[in-house]
Amino acid sequence: MKRALPVLALSVAALIPVWRYAPSAETSSSSTEVAAPASTPSAAPSSGSSGSGSSDSGSSDAGTSNLVVAGSTLNTEKGPVQVEVTFTGDEISSVRMLQQPNHPQTEAAVPKLIEATLEAQSADIDAVSGATITSEGYVKSLQAAIDAKG
Amino acid sequence: MRRVEHIMGFPISVRMDEREGDAAEAADRAFDWLREVDERFSPFKPGSEVSRLDRGELELDEVSPELAEILDLCERYRVATGGAFDVRLPGRGLDPCAMVKGWAVQRAADLLTATGASRFCLNAGGDVVATGGPWRVGVRHPEQADKLCTVLDVTDGAVATSARYERGDHIIDGRTGRPATGLLSVTVVSPSLTEADATATAAFAMGPEGIVWAAAREDCEVFAVDAERKVFRTAGFPVAA
Repeated sequence: MKRALPVLALSVAALIPVWRYAPSAETSSSSTEVAAPASTPSAAPSSGSSGSGSSDSGSSDAGTSNLVVAGSTLNTEKGPVQVEVTFTGDEISSVRMLQQPNHPQTEAAVPKLIEATLEAQSADIDAVSGATITSEGYVKSLQAAIDAKG
Repeated sequence: MRRVEHIMGFPISVRMDEREGDAAEAADRAFDWLREVDERFSPFKPGSEVSRLDRGELELDEVSPELAEILDLCERYRVATGGAFDVRLPGRGLDPCAMVKGWAVQRAADLLTATGASRFCLNAGGDVVATGGPWRVGVRHPEQADKLCTVLDVTDGAVATSARYERGDHIIDGRTGRPATGLLSVTVVSPSLTEADATATAAFAMGPEGIVWAAAREDCEVFAVDAERKVFRTAGFPVAA
């Protein structure tokens, strides 16, 4: 019960054909669109390239070994959702839905996420959203500066 | 008009349009409500309703309608997250703070609206409710306290962020009983702060799969930074131009 997510390693052959959600609407600009990211294995630290043999039954796929991970089933308002992510090294090479609500209207409930890189910005703003800041930490916060500006 | 008060251990800033009639009175009502919430629902106050329920001095069917509503919301999120969001962790007392904060601050915003305020920005320790915008809301960079990682345009809506930087590993994944460490930061935008705050906390507790989970919720737009510093956002997340 320590590892909460059922981690399922399948052979690559068992994955074909890999079905990607909504492959048609590829209108991405510079950012990459991922149908559903990051149902990373619960053993997340080992999903890196140095991962200790995390490529179970990687079979015969052109040298690079793949890791296929099924996330746990999530009961969303629209029904159960479960994703399966294939990692090639560090990269997510494909994502497919093992389970998704099958009502047509709920297809949009399987989100399309835009992937970008983390950047630091400063800007003229009215409020700062962040993890609950304590009253002690407030003094040094951006929000305090905004409030003091008057 | 601007005012800052410290209630429930965090700063609450309100900014309202001066021309709105009784801005000061409206703010008074909102702050009074939040002080009342602290007295009634804080697990850190021995005389609160939450503490009395936890000690068995109150039965579940004796709690106030407000606490019943809070506990009902908690249960809904617990079920929806497969147990990741849980206000009754084994070995710990009942602690509904993660639910109470967003719910109470949304109600405070509703009080401002009911008093006639039509343009205000309320920030309760990092949870923001904005009305009558445009308001520019920055999201704190998860690793640089004085920087932002994105800026949003919000006209009417709520923004909540759950992250590890401010109070360390304090969010527990109820499925494992261990601190959630799979994400650096999750921000949720939703019409209601009740939904935005609970969804952000729940997604954070779930880890990376929480991004997909939150994005699939109705009326929720998501911006998340995972432990590898990758950023994921939904297409509808209102990034400012």
